[in-house]
Amino acid sequence: MAIIELRDVKKDYLLGKVTVPAVKGVSFEIERGDFVSIAGPSGSGKTTILNMIGLIDIPSSGEVIIEGKHTGGLSDRELTRFRHEVLGFIFQSFNLIPVLTVRENVEFPLLLGKTRVPRNEWDQWIDYLLEEVGLTGWKDHKPNELSGGQRQRVAIARALITRPSIVLADEPTANLDSATGEQIIDLMKKINRELQTTFIFSTHDAKIVSIADHVIRLRDGLVIENRRKGEDVNGTESEE
Amino acid sequence: MNPVLPRIAARNLLRQRKRTMLLAGAIAFGIMIVTLINGFAGAFIRNVSENFAYLMGGHVFVSGTEYSPSGRRISVIRDTAVIDEALASSGLRNLRVQKTSQVMATLIFEGKSIRQNLTGIDLGHSSMLRDRLMLLKGTWEDAAQPDALIISEKIAKKLNVLPGDKVIAQFQTITGQNNVGEFRIAGISVDSSFIGSIMAYVQLDYLNSLIGIRNGEYMSLGIMLDRLDRSGTAASALYVTMKSMGLQLFERKAAQDGNAMTPFQAMIREQTRERWEGTRYRVYTIDEILSQARQIVVALDTASVFILVVLFAIVMIGLSNTFRMAMFERIREIGTMRAIGVQRNEVRAMFLYEALFMALAGSVAGLLLAFLAMAGLSLITFDPQSPVFLILRNGHLSFSLPPLRALFNIALIAALTLAAVYAPANAASKLRPAEALRTVK
Repeated sequence: MAIIELRDVKKDYLLGKVTVPAVKGVSFEIERGDFVSIAGPSGSGKTTILNMIGLIDIPSSGEVIIEGKHTGGLSDRELTRFRHEVLGFIFQSFNLIPVLTVRENVEFPLLLGKTRVPRNEWDQWIDYLLEEVGLTGWKDHKPNELSGGQRQRVAIARALITRPSIVLADEPTANLDSATGEQIIDLMKKINRELQTTFIFSTHDAKIVSIADHVIRLRDGLVIENRRKGEDVNGTESEE
Repeated sequence: MNPVLPRIAARNLLRQRKRTMLLAGAIAFGIMIVTLINGFAGAFIRNVSENFAYLMGGHVFVSGTEYSPSGRRISVIRDTAVIDEALASSGLRNLRVQKTSQVMATLIFEGKSIRQNLTGIDLGHSSMLRDRLMLLKGTWEDAAQPDALIISEKIAKKLNVLPGDKVIAQFQTITGQNNVGEFRIAGISVDSSFIGSIMAYVQLDYLNSLIGIRNGEYMSLGIMLDRLDRSGTAASALYVTMKSMGLQLFERKAAQDGNAMTPFQAMIREQTRERWEGTRYRVYTIDEILSQARQIVVALDTASVFILVVLFAIVMIGLSNTFRMAMFERIREIGTMRAIGVQRNEVRAMFLYEALFMALAGSVAGLLLAFLAMAGLSLITFDPQSPVFLILRNGHLSFSLPPLRALFNIALIAALTLAAVYAPANAASKLRPAEALRTVK
């Protein structure tokens, strides 16, 4: 069963008196544990689709189904709880809380919601993630004392701390140099393999798109390509 | 509530140090001014009461009134033994008593005259008077003479008299007959503002003989307690004892029955309405005489709340605008927090925590500044002849801040701060995560 399903999702924005269609009826499914790339040029609707999958934006029409749950009728409180329990976020500009240290930033989502984990288990998990992202020695530093790559690693650890089944990353390498960007993608891929977390990231970098298990290509708010690795552009298995 | 939210709120305050200092400084200034007013008002009534108590020779007073055969009201306590017995039976401890008689007289010396309230007390033995009255000229030995008169420096200057000079006093006896007496200036004292300037002291027995009161009798008894705040209970105890002894007494709560402004006025009015046989006694306290001073304290306290609200109305505008700005500055943070699972009420709480911490920090700083200012002001020594002498304590300004009052001010500031910040905090909580994340600053 697909972990995410979008059914004819549309999103219009009102700019002054003008309605601008950002997503014009998109349907696709994403399988659990996939490393998914949503690709396309600027303005193609990548971020809008990620926001709707991330339940931080609401479709103008259509349905977003996550883990079999129809999200359309949920209240803000329910959406927030659902985001906290099921989703992790990685942003282009890292979006760390500047007044918290690296460790506190990673720990922050654990302090939200009602689920409580035993303290030692909690600490072990934070330490494990900090080690995974290579920031054990930086845990007491504030975000402004870190490089861009390090900040994004913190964001990755934060996104994974609640053990979400889906991690959404909006152009996670856009603010990084290419070498650091590759490291970040490799790290995401490694975690994807190890924890079987579904990663969905938007990018317009062809090199990064090439390592995805599933590529959804957009143009002008429409899906122009929806292909899993080993399938041809029409969705049938390729000879490779 | 998430424990990390207060932590973030506190750190956000430190993040914008200058802004925080300015706002907390404004709160501190408001609290300081109001605390100073409250502190002054708190000490005002105590100081005025204490100073008046010393001037009048007691915290609690007993006086007697009877009608003469001609129908004239006479203020006198003839049965002194019954008062002594009542005092002994009332259970009052640690007290000093002073018997006094008084008359308004015109003092005349070499063609100059002036109206004075002559208070007759036992000058030779009154420790209460000696404790508080400083003689500039003359001695207490001279004051022990039967015809001794102690007047204030101001009056001495007006009459142009020196110790040893003899002055004539013109007055009415208790039965209304005109009479004169001769006094010798035994001492010239430092007066305590306008009350002191109209008080002059003579020997009780000599004054009684001149105004028609028999030896051993007196007009009123002043009872000095160890603490001013016990005057109400002490007066009640004495009143109950005297009542149980079958003595005639004026009601102590007469103020409730008439249109009098003070309980003391009510008592006096009651006296004019009725007629009785024998002596009717009145038990009253310095507080009842000075209840109008209490109204000044109430006015000061009310004014302080008004000042606090006005000062804070200005600060509230600043607070509200600053937090709106902070919300805009942190819009992406808010969006991020909302995305990763922070609920709306928690975003609102974070801003409210920030405001609350600022209010508390400002209030504590304001209180500390006020205490420093109080300590500084209380070091200033005022001239005993200064018009403000009655509100001073031993010649210095003094302050008394009831802890509950300070807590009320802090609670008020905290409530007003939260009210000022609620709208921007609420606006921040209602931001949609995607919109917040999209906003370009």
